[in-house]
Amino acid sequence: MTAEVLGIAALSLRVALLATLVACLLGIPLGVWLGSTAFAGHRMAVLLLNTALALPTVVVGLALYLLLSRHGPLGMLGMLYTSGAIVVAEIVLAVPITAALAAAAVQGLDPRVRRTALTLGAGPVRAAWAVAQEARLALAAASAVAFGRVLSEVGAALIVGGNIRFETRTLTTAVTLATSQGNFALALALGLVLLAMALTVNAVILLLGGRPR
Amino acid sequence: MTAGHGDTGAPGRGTAEDGPLLELAGITQTYGERTVLRIESLRIARGARLAVVGPNGSGKSTLLRVLAFLDPPASGEVRLHGAAVAGRAARRAARTRVTLVEQRPFLFKGTVLDNVAWGLRARGRPRPDIERAARTALALLGSEGLAGRDARAVSEGEVQRVAVARALATEPAALLLDEPVSGADRAAQHALYAAIATAQAERPLAVVVASHQLEDAYRWADDLLALHDGAPTPVTPENLFRVELPGGGGNQEVAVGGGVIIQVTTDRAGPATLAIPPDEIVLSREPLHSSARNAVQGRIVRVAEQGAVMRVTVAGGVELVALITGKSFADLGLGIGTGVVASFKSVAVRVF
Repeated sequence: MTAEVLGIAALSLRVALLATLVACLLGIPLGVWLGSTAFAGHRMAVLLLNTALALPTVVVGLALYLLLSRHGPLGMLGMLYTSGAIVVAEIVLAVPITAALAAAAVQGLDPRVRRTALTLGAGPVRAAWAVAQEARLALAAASAVAFGRVLSEVGAALIVGGNIRFETRTLTTAVTLATSQGNFALALALGLVLLAMALTVNAVILLLGGRPR
Repeated sequence: MTAGHGDTGAPGRGTAEDGPLLELAGITQTYGERTVLRIESLRIARGARLAVVGPNGSGKSTLLRVLAFLDPPASGEVRLHGAAVAGRAARRAARTRVTLVEQRPFLFKGTVLDNVAWGLRARGRPRPDIERAARTALALLGSEGLAGRDARAVSEGEVQRVAVARALATEPAALLLDEPVSGADRAAQHALYAAIATAQAERPLAVVVASHQLEDAYRWADDLLALHDGAPTPVTPENLFRVELPGGGGNQEVAVGGGVIIQVTTDRAGPATLAIPPDEIVLSREPLHSSARNAVQGRIVRVAEQGAVMRVTVAGGVELVALITGKSFADLGLGIGTGVVASFKSVAVRVF
């Protein structure tokens, strides 16, 4: 039992960390770009991104299920009911978070940061990097929020993962199952493991983000 | 008295045949519907010292951002070394040659040295060179002691000096300063201009300073561009002195600093600004026997040629700028260091 719980916790952590990492790598550059560049359709892009923040997890799960199911367009990948499918679903859910929060952080930043970088001879990439550096704390918070969403998400993980024992059972899907079986002690214990994990990872993110000035 | 049309720069620095460093042609800049800058022609020589003066909102900062290739103009052409700079890539390349220090400079997180090294790192210089160049630039501003300090924990005046050091470390062809002394005290201001003079002595460097503090800009610059509502204007009060008028009406004697006392004809009393128009000042080798009530003895410290007119700065306790023709300048045998007397009538001194 303990070994099984550890296995579930490890899978949850692996899925959540991987999805958060990819969501940061995709979403933060997108957000920094959105937050510091003006172009036609900019407001529309921000509106779409903010709407994507409210994506219901079961809708994402359903859409991905249809894509990955055997007769779906991506059925040949054979990804349905694998942990890889859960990672993909969580990335879809987390990218809007990292992108929208990064865009908001950068928009709220002193405009002199980018101008100063540019006038000192920086190219667009280095200027964006300077902006990200100055917004480090807010970007760390964005990744923490994304991690929280991904770790606690159950709907999509259930639909595309299938809650298969020893395969795709995550902490949240295990809690769902234990609750439906009336095994509240186990459900609570799993919930506590989830909380402890969130606490640890957030503490690490906070340390990486540095202290506020 | 405007650089709106013609070259800037003293003779000897930036010769005619190697062309101007920066050129504006038919520039306008707009914010929304409003045109905030309109400059038909401006040429800035290599090694020029140009002061851009004008009240707040006259377009000084807008001009500097266009010159710094940060904002593309709404219309017109900006040229660097004679080549038009248009498009993102060209502006980006040009920004490695021209740098702007904003009115309230921004320092990045990290140490002062990190900040001064920033532009060099952006250029991918080797690490040992970066540190050496950054320390040299800091030393130029007399701020080597700040190197290890947290950039967010230095005073306003120090921020200014660090930002100028950071800009100079990149060895730009042009340094643009927006209101560089507004927050700093007089000693810091002196240090700043001294550092710029040293940098200019070492290599060709055009410096453009935007300021609403007229007298400082005038004393320091070789040439002047006065802006009003975004356009060059010929009206520029020169030789300004803030004084305390003793009152008593008629002719008053007032100290303008440096042990110099000027006779003024005014009924006013209390705080005032005196302006002596440069074209009202007569220069001579010997004191004149004339109706002019004021005579300031000094030496010529700077000369700028503007077409047929010479803009001569005389230091004698205070600095005075006089406009004389090139012919008079030659006939009197004047030059840097020549002892002269600057004479002007008390009624020529404007009080406001």
